[in-house]
Amino acid sequence: MRGIDRRLVQNFDGVLFGLVAALVVVGLVNLASSSHSDSGMSDAVRRQLISLGIGVAVMAVTVMFDYRHYERLALPAYLGSLFLLVLTLVIAPLTRGSQSWLLEGRLQPAELARLGLVLMLARHFHRNPASEVRRLRDLARPALLIALPVGLIVLQRDMGVALLTLLVGSTYVALVNIPKRAWLVIAIAGVTAFAALWIFALQPYQRERILDVVDSGRDPLASGYQVNQSRIAVGSGGLLGKGYREGTQSQLRFLPTQHTDFAFSVLAEEWGFAGSVAVLGAFATLLAWGLVIASKAKDGFGAMLAVGVVGLFFWPAVLNVGMVLGVLPVIGVPLPFISYGGSALVTNLIAVGLLMNVSLRRWVF
Amino acid sequence: MKDDFGARARLGSGPEVSIDNRLPFLMGVVLLAFGIFVLRLFQLQVLQGEELQGIAQGNAVRLVRLEAPRGDILDRRGRVLAATRPAFGVSVLPSDLHSPERTATALGMLLDTDAEGLAERIGTPRGRRRFRPVRLAADLPFDHWGRVESHRFELPGVLTDVRPRRHYVEGELSAHLLGTIGEISAAQLRAAGRSEYRSGEVVGQSGIERLFESHLRGRAGGRNVVVDVAGRVVGDPLEEREPEPGGTLTLTIDRDLQRVAEAGFEPEVLGEPGKRGALVALDPRNGDVLALVSKPAFDPNAFAGGIDSETWKGLSTDEWRPLQNRAVAGQYPPGSIFKPVVAAAALTDGIVTPSDRIFCPGHFRLGRRVYRCWRRGGHGEVDLRAALKHSCDVYFYQVGLQLGIDRIADFARAFKLGRTTGFPFGDEKPGLVPTKSWKERRFSEPWQRGETVSVSIGQGFSLVTPIQMAVAYAALANGGDILEPRIVRERVDRDGEVVSAGGPVVRAQLGVAPEYLAVVRDALEATVSETGGTGAAARVPGVRVAGKTGTAQVVRLKYTEDLEEDEIPVRHRDHAWFVAFAPVEDPEIVVAVLVEHGGNGGSVAAPIAGRVLAEYFHPKREESPATVAIAEDPDAGD
Repeated sequence: MRGIDRRLVQNFDGVLFGLVAALVVVGLVNLASSSHSDSGMSDAVRRQLISLGIGVAVMAVTVMFDYRHYERLALPAYLGSLFLLVLTLVIAPLTRGSQSWLLEGRLQPAELARLGLVLMLARHFHRNPASEVRRLRDLARPALLIALPVGLIVLQRDMGVALLTLLVGSTYVALVNIPKRAWLVIAIAGVTAFAALWIFALQPYQRERILDVVDSGRDPLASGYQVNQSRIAVGSGGLLGKGYREGTQSQLRFLPTQHTDFAFSVLAEEWGFAGSVAVLGAFATLLAWGLVIASKAKDGFGAMLAVGVVGLFFWPAVLNVGMVLGVLPVIGVPLPFISYGGSALVTNLIAVGLLMNVSLRRWVF
Repeated sequence: MKDDFGARARLGSGPEVSIDNRLPFLMGVVLLAFGIFVLRLFQLQVLQGEELQGIAQGNAVRLVRLEAPRGDILDRRGRVLAATRPAFGVSVLPSDLHSPERTATALGMLLDTDAEGLAERIGTPRGRRRFRPVRLAADLPFDHWGRVESHRFELPGVLTDVRPRRHYVEGELSAHLLGTIGEISAAQLRAAGRSEYRSGEVVGQSGIERLFESHLRGRAGGRNVVVDVAGRVVGDPLEEREPEPGGTLTLTIDRDLQRVAEAGFEPEVLGEPGKRGALVALDPRNGDVLALVSKPAFDPNAFAGGIDSETWKGLSTDEWRPLQNRAVAGQYPPGSIFKPVVAAAALTDGIVTPSDRIFCPGHFRLGRRVYRCWRRGGHGEVDLRAALKHSCDVYFYQVGLQLGIDRIADFARAFKLGRTTGFPFGDEKPGLVPTKSWKERRFSEPWQRGETVSVSIGQGFSLVTPIQMAVAYAALANGGDILEPRIVRERVDRDGEVVSAGGPVVRAQLGVAPEYLAVVRDALEATVSETGGTGAAARVPGVRVAGKTGTAQVVRLKYTEDLEEDEIPVRHRDHAWFVAFAPVEDPEIVVAVLVEHGGNGGSVAAPIAGRVLAEYFHPKREESPATVAIAEDPDAGD
């Protein structure tokens, strides 16, 4: 250990850091508004600040070691996260219809599992370069790597997170060079799987949620209630929003789960079109910047890792914002950096650390 | 940390991986996804922003209706008969209750009621119904309500409220006159139009309350408040319009007189049922109704908060029909109080002169039938004055026969009997003035002369209402004006405009010469003031009182004549009548009293009239000593 390499300081990625810092601050301000109580700072803000502290510390540690070491850590991390998922299934009590929390609700292993999966897939596609994948059967191993955590999360009855994990893992498919016929096979398999899920696995309320997207006016008081109230909240924000803590939909609790899943509704209501577009712009820039980091990475593992991290942020953002805006079904997926949730914030900051790591060391030989 | 670690060799040996050829595609996906979101945001926030702002406002802003108090109803001297008082209520919002059982137990203790019953009423509502308040009490004693109010912070989900409620200060007093209020019916709502009334609103359903509904009704105010998803009010109201109380109404009724009049029907012995019947006191100069009684009555307060079905059933199915206003809707044979009408007719038609004398042997034979005078021994030689004073039947049998039924009917109609007086509510009935053609129409049988004999003394088919007799005697008293009875002296509208009753409404002239009316008045004064007169019980010291007793048979005399009074079934007992006016020289008040199945007019009805007159001329707080002036001849009757 020679202390921190001077080149690391010189190459510090101010864009990445600035974007993440901005999103985290927006998330905290938004949380302060949506969880506001008359007795000063709310518990939610206090706990989120503690998580932020932990997350920043872990992120710093993540940045400190050269990411190339992590290729060796990928398998243990992946297996460890699978073990936690199994452990959760065995010992965690049922909360809110799913079995997904450890340590009295402070740790959600599924978050770590996504990180482990990304590391593992980055390792795999580094050793078996994605661009070299030309046959469908070359995707069998990565498919198995994805299926294991996804299957365990399905067993936890957390369909939304299972879907999210599946999507994050599938990010790498965008890089492979399989023929058109193979894409057709994947498409057919996907439709079949969806149909099978619809018939056998989805609960009636989950089907309702999907149908509500097709027609939001179906039943505004029952299954469509959340979507409808969210749509009203977002729309009533107008061009410039109602202002901090002035959102009637959120402050008067018409919005459901407003500081977690519907945090973006609160933001859109209070900061309007201008604020929402700014936040979405920051998000899109972050993702684009992640892709730039991937393309400039020094080696294949760094590139794969960066692409994985981009997928780690892209999919929950799409699912969450799509839900809030009523263009996708209601799936309980938090918006990275904005939604309230400790383990998600810590995991996301670790992922930022990985991205930063790749970015810093593109010049280091 | 060293840069050259073991893995490096392996890393170097692997094929180089670049995503450069996929970078545009991946960037495109990100841009596409976020572009769609921005478009959607534009659609929601910019294009539909205004509309959705309205919906958000509708979510959070509720119009709370502020009920307006009804206007007060006052007696002629401004004393309150009907007012609006605060009613203290308690509700719970199930969604806010931590434990319905514990709340019910606490409320049970605070309200001194059965906690289990409360818990049952709260129940365990599910879904959106949890946000609907459950009303546990609408009209609590103030101290109970105050106890709940002071514990509100320990009782989350318990709501207290204060709403205006109609209050009839005097209870049963003048119940039929004031009337009742109640929830608007579907038919009334349709008739009124939804812009004026809302379903569930309370409106006047009978009496003054109904007649002057639009005047008494205030204009409800409103308050825009911000509520949260549970319907709880948050913060200060956004805007508020104060409710406007309804206009006040000053009646012609005199509360003290009304009290004395109603007291006359109270049972003589505590615990016995009170007398049934009616009383109307009129000012013969202008038609002002000074008192109006119908007994049995009811407490209109029972209707003010929505009457419970048991009380309603009791009132509406009671065999003595307490809801009926007997003063205007009760039709009874007039009996001897009809004799002054026949007397005026006979004088006008020249059948008799005041000094003509007729011999009364105690009975009158017509064909094979014998009609008896109420005094079996007869009255001997009587002129008109003595015939009225002693209520001699035989005199009127003969005079009536000579007039003929149709002439009697003509004069009865001149007194506006047989048609309604114009009293504006209470389902006024017209009574019945029989004629030959009426009988032929009704029964397809010719008129019998014997029936004329019965009508001459107010029996037979004749039917009158107490208010008709008050109006008829007012005409005798005032020199021949048939007045329309009126009950409102002054109205003060919501905006302060005062509308006073104008001059008296004279519906018709009697058409009887003043000297003949004077003869009748003189005879009626003798009836009360002279020894042997049947109306002595109505005397008032220092006041010249005129009056006429009546004892109207309900069944033929032969069924009851051999029985003692209390052996006769109640429904077969005679109706007791008395109509009086005073002072004779310049009448200010007419009192008509009917006691249903009360027996003798002179001993049962006349004292009630006497007490009312005494109160009128010598107002006192205590019971009027006029009752001391009981009949000198207790056996005196018609």
